[in-house]
Amino acid sequence: MERQPRGLAGVTLPFIAPVHVMVLGVIVIPSLFVIWLSFQSSTFGQSARFVGWDNYVRVLSDPYFWRALLNTVLVIAAAVHIEMLIGLGMALLFSAGLPMRRLLLVVVLAPYAISEVTAVAMWRFLFDPDVGPVTAAIAWLGLPALDWTFVPAHGLILVGLLTIWLHLPFTFIILYAARLAVPKELYEAGRTDGASLWQLFRHVTLPMLAPAILIAMLFRYIFAFRLFSEVWLMTQGGPARTTEVVAVYLYLEAFRYNSFGSAAATAWIMVAISLLLATGYIWRLKKETSHAA
Amino acid sequence: MRLERLLIGLGKMVAVILIVLWSVFPIAFVVLSSFKPGRDIFAVPPKFVFTPTFAHYLNLWERWGGFFDGLRNSLIVTVGAALLAVTASSLAGFIYSRHQSRFPAGSIFFLICIRLIPPIVVTLPLFPMVNWLGLNDTHLVLIVLYATFFVSLGTVLMRTFIDQIPRELDEAATIDGASQLTLLVRVILPLAAPGMIAVAVFVVVYAWNEFLFAFIFTATKAKTAPFVLSEMISSVDGVDWGVLFAAATVQLIPVLLFVIVMNRFLVAGLTAGATKG
Repeated sequence: MERQPRGLAGVTLPFIAPVHVMVLGVIVIPSLFVIWLSFQSSTFGQSARFVGWDNYVRVLSDPYFWRALLNTVLVIAAAVHIEMLIGLGMALLFSAGLPMRRLLLVVVLAPYAISEVTAVAMWRFLFDPDVGPVTAAIAWLGLPALDWTFVPAHGLILVGLLTIWLHLPFTFIILYAARLAVPKELYEAGRTDGASLWQLFRHVTLPMLAPAILIAMLFRYIFAFRLFSEVWLMTQGGPARTTEVVAVYLYLEAFRYNSFGSAAATAWIMVAISLLLATGYIWRLKKETSHAA
Repeated sequence: MRLERLLIGLGKMVAVILIVLWSVFPIAFVVLSSFKPGRDIFAVPPKFVFTPTFAHYLNLWERWGGFFDGLRNSLIVTVGAALLAVTASSLAGFIYSRHQSRFPAGSIFFLICIRLIPPIVVTLPLFPMVNWLGLNDTHLVLIVLYATFFVSLGTVLMRTFIDQIPRELDEAATIDGASQLTLLVRVILPLAAPGMIAVAVFVVVYAWNEFLFAFIFTATKAKTAPFVLSEMISSVDGVDWGVLFAAATVQLIPVLLFVIVMNRFLVAGLTAGATKG
């Protein structure tokens, strides 16, 4: 490093400029602009007027917002945790040795390649109340039918299942990679001490995987919180706005009801919740980056 | 003991079958159904033996010509976004790897935090701005948006991959009088190719499949394939499932093959991306 010529800052700047220009121009400045927007009364094509906290008050006193927030939280809470359990089970199964492991890994990755739109097309047919083969299978098994077109809770269950299907590959890969990184010696030592399978899991696997589980879970909370396409294409938030999630609520406020002010307030509530969800992760990272530098 | 082993083996087999069914059945069902004659699509239980037909594909060609324009738009946007993101990420990742001490830790930390902002948030100010610039319904808007939402991850990934390249190579090249750009292009990037591919895989899968931005920022000219698919799903005169399955198959097969071929890079990228930022 010491041998580098002087005036390096001038040389390095053009290298990092593109990324920063893109990120500032497309993400940071617009996001800051949204703060300004959230304190204005503004609809598309009209000049803005400062209204203080009015937009926030309006959003926070709108029962549809709370319904959307509740729906989002319920879907995330159910989907992400189920995903973690299945992903963990699969990671352990894979690491315990399976025939054709590489091929199976590719099979498990497959849903990662599928668009939300294509996935919704598949699931809408599979679960179609009249002609869906899964609906028929459920009826044949004597289980209660999933009336997702009428019953809001069922619509959300279907969205949750779809979310799990689309994102399980991510969760699985993170946990599997972490499991492969656990040194074999730990298990050997445990076994010579006469530990049972459960004890090995409880005292070796789980503590060693804890950081990866935490990271995967935080990532999934943050990304699941953006949930839009699945809901929009599956139920459009209906019937009667009962299956909306926060992103759908935001979209409708902005682009259907032309209320950019309250949409902006919703957006910042979303960012605030995302940051809140991520504090643990950010704190960890900050420790790491300051450590590295 | 032998019974126990047998039971474990059996349990594993059941688990594997369930995993395969869960992951592949919806995809296989759509692809197979796109070749089924109209009535067989609705057969219960599903038919796995049938006379294959291309009727739905012909229908798709005749009645939804816009879908193929959508495919072309998706291709342009995907390639553009991947090129932009890989280039920008490689440039920045190189500097962050080699001149780390010159930057406050905050700089890369800032890039990571950016990933926390939900994409829908920026649509609010960007929508009027893009209209004002006359850029709505163009490929350029989507290319820039898709690339930007992956350059932060891309930069972190490239830094991780370039970190693994020995610095002695840099020193040798610099002594020979190579500029930073020559060093990057001639020495570093050929060795960091797996990283570039990993970044490209992320962007390609995202850009090819993305719905929200396409839905908000395009209307007719630059409409992508997922957007056209969404119109077919919510078609007012009822869904023609055969045609929808044909379109879904055409949309998903290229990206599915891509992910299968690139699975090593995807796995490497996912693990590096999650642990390093």
